[in-house]
Amino acid sequence: MEAGPFVRRTTRENEDTTIDAILSQLPGQLLDGFIRGLVYVAIALGLTIVFGMLRLVNFAHGAFYAIGAYVGLVVAEKLGLAAGLIAAPIAVAFFAVVFDRILLRRFYSKEPTSQILVTFGVAIVVQETLRLIFGGTTRSFPIPAALAGSFNLGFTQYPTYRLLFAIGIVLLIVAVYLFIERTDYGLIVRAGIRDRTMVQLLGGNVKLASTIIFALGASLAGLVGAAASPIYSVDPNTGFSFLIPSFVVVVIGGLGSFWGAVLGGLLVGELQSVATLALPAASDVIIYIAMAIVLLVKPSGLLGESEMIRG
Amino acid sequence: MFNQAKPSRGQFVVGGAAGAAVAAFSSVNVIAAPMKKVVIGLDVPQTGPYSDQGQDQLRAYKLAIEEINAKGGVMGMQIEASVGDDQTKAPVAVENARRMIERDGAVMITGGSSSATAVAVSGLCQEKKTIFMATLTHSNATTDESCHYHTFRRYNNAYMSAHAMAKTLLTKYGTGKWFHITADYTWGHSVYESLTEVLEPKGAKTIKNVLLPLGTTDFSSALSQAQAAKPDVLVITEFGKDMVNAVNQAAQFGLTKSTKILVPLADEYMAKGAGDNFDNVVTTAPFYWQYHAAKYPAAKKFVDAFMKRYGAPPSNGAECAYTNIYQWKEGVERSGSLDPKKFIEKMEGHKFTATKEPEYWRASDHQGINSCLVLEGVPVKDRANPYAFAKVLEVHDGESVSIPAASSKCKIESA
Repeated sequence: MEAGPFVRRTTRENEDTTIDAILSQLPGQLLDGFIRGLVYVAIALGLTIVFGMLRLVNFAHGAFYAIGAYVGLVVAEKLGLAAGLIAAPIAVAFFAVVFDRILLRRFYSKEPTSQILVTFGVAIVVQETLRLIFGGTTRSFPIPAALAGSFNLGFTQYPTYRLLFAIGIVLLIVAVYLFIERTDYGLIVRAGIRDRTMVQLLGGNVKLASTIIFALGASLAGLVGAAASPIYSVDPNTGFSFLIPSFVVVVIGGLGSFWGAVLGGLLVGELQSVATLALPAASDVIIYIAMAIVLLVKPSGLLGESEMIRG
Repeated sequence: MFNQAKPSRGQFVVGGAAGAAVAAFSSVNVIAAPMKKVVIGLDVPQTGPYSDQGQDQLRAYKLAIEEINAKGGVMGMQIEASVGDDQTKAPVAVENARRMIERDGAVMITGGSSSATAVAVSGLCQEKKTIFMATLTHSNATTDESCHYHTFRRYNNAYMSAHAMAKTLLTKYGTGKWFHITADYTWGHSVYESLTEVLEPKGAKTIKNVLLPLGTTDFSSALSQAQAAKPDVLVITEFGKDMVNAVNQAAQFGLTKSTKILVPLADEYMAKGAGDNFDNVVTTAPFYWQYHAAKYPAAKKFVDAFMKRYGAPPSNGAECAYTNIYQWKEGVERSGSLDPKKFIEKMEGHKFTATKEPEYWRASDHQGINSCLVLEGVPVKDRANPYAFAKVLEVHDGESVSIPAASSKCKIESA
């Protein structure tokens, strides 16, 4: 090896990469993976519900997240974070209803390719509109001082805001579950997932239920966008950077499956987090490897229904 | 005036308006003598993790081009720009550059922001025998092992930053346990190597280096490892939006209070995004608008013009972009032609003073040898404006901190 200031070293003799060192960090890492996974769950949930009910592949889902993040940011700067968290899902739901009524409705019965093209197009329009209004600069909203610290869990210190965020998402998941399982609309939604035509024949208002479901899915993304903006910064491309992992989550969990999205999200979060500990360079690619394996072994996803039943 | 290499997305409107302006001007030119033109390619990220930096460089490029064109252009030729968004991705940057050269006839490409894109575009420009004035690229590789005859890089590199900071790091940060979070590509590797080469012989102990992909938004798993490891120093070798996320999230984990944070390279936009979390953080930069404008009239003229035009001061990458356009113009005029070989002959070893301390282009590797500032972040309440983010700790002469020519790995081509 050559001497001098530039000896390229491939091993770091000082680094503590023993199994013991890795194991001692594992509890903290698993918690982190769990919370990271909950973020994916929250975003993927809207995506999978909309697919399950409307058979719509919605590439504009990331745009809902971005709109929510910006609305949350603007309102939070003026009136505080709580106001931002209320305004964002309402604004996004409103946008989603208009978008659904004017454009998307015409594509419900079209083949997935058209749906992907139109929703992808809308996503780009939204991204560039946000850029026109807010500029391309990265923005972030500071965490309120009361929530800015970290919380001692015994085995690790974890940011207070992230813990509250995680609790909020768990409550959100429960609320959505109860809505689908315990309300009349939920009944129509579940029936609609099974057989849309039959529900219509039986007099169920599938049209209204569709709009409500679409707005619900969108507002979930919008709410998460607003709640996450103090953690992650926001820029016009934010939507796309969350869209891809949430599709991975939905594919792993099973398209249209509620618990599939939950399982897929947590799995992806844990995989990424543990990979960062053991093999950081692979933390990005590992979720795609996981997706490929799931697609090979069980093409309908871990908890997805097979094509036969769905058809 | 500004052609779009990719006439889509947000720039379409700008391109359209500029196109109309060109049309209006050319109708005047039919009566007068037709104006000769020279095309250059501006290949910068307008989207992706380094878009803040790319957009600011674009502002500086436009300012320089407008100034030059207003004063008669380059040897009587009006500069026309072909603009491309490299999306902070090397393959896109290369495709943009190829289109600028082959379709638009660009005689010079300039851009950067990510060293991965700069190194890739540099390779293409060597193949195409086209001048590449690299702008924001800080990896040693650009002018070291990946150097090329047609490429000039004026921006500081990782080696310079590490050596400039060495003394401050040892006095302010000490030689305890160092934990690194590093962007996993040529720039991050380069900074990590340069820093550890400087620090470890003095007794600093590197306990871990977590490499994360460019564009990572959630740093929590790396940060919770850092928290468990209880280091004395946390080095965040991340840039652009990634750095803003990493530093702000480090604060959420309480690491900005329990640990000293080091960000080896930063700019105005990153410090603005990190806000108070950048307080007391040591970093480096080749240019700092507040410091240089107070010291050098040429810098003041540039900073004032930039602020007047855009309402914010130039970031250090923007300064490099601005000076690169002027360096290219003056090089072309000294050589009296657009021939790259004649241009390069006139550039190698050329000494000049632009907006900062005197500098020169080193012939052996085409690295700009110029000053490197060591800065320390100040709290938001002490900033005259959001971009006045630091105080200057030290100013290092470029010569004293550059890779010695003797130990350079650059084997530059002869043509």
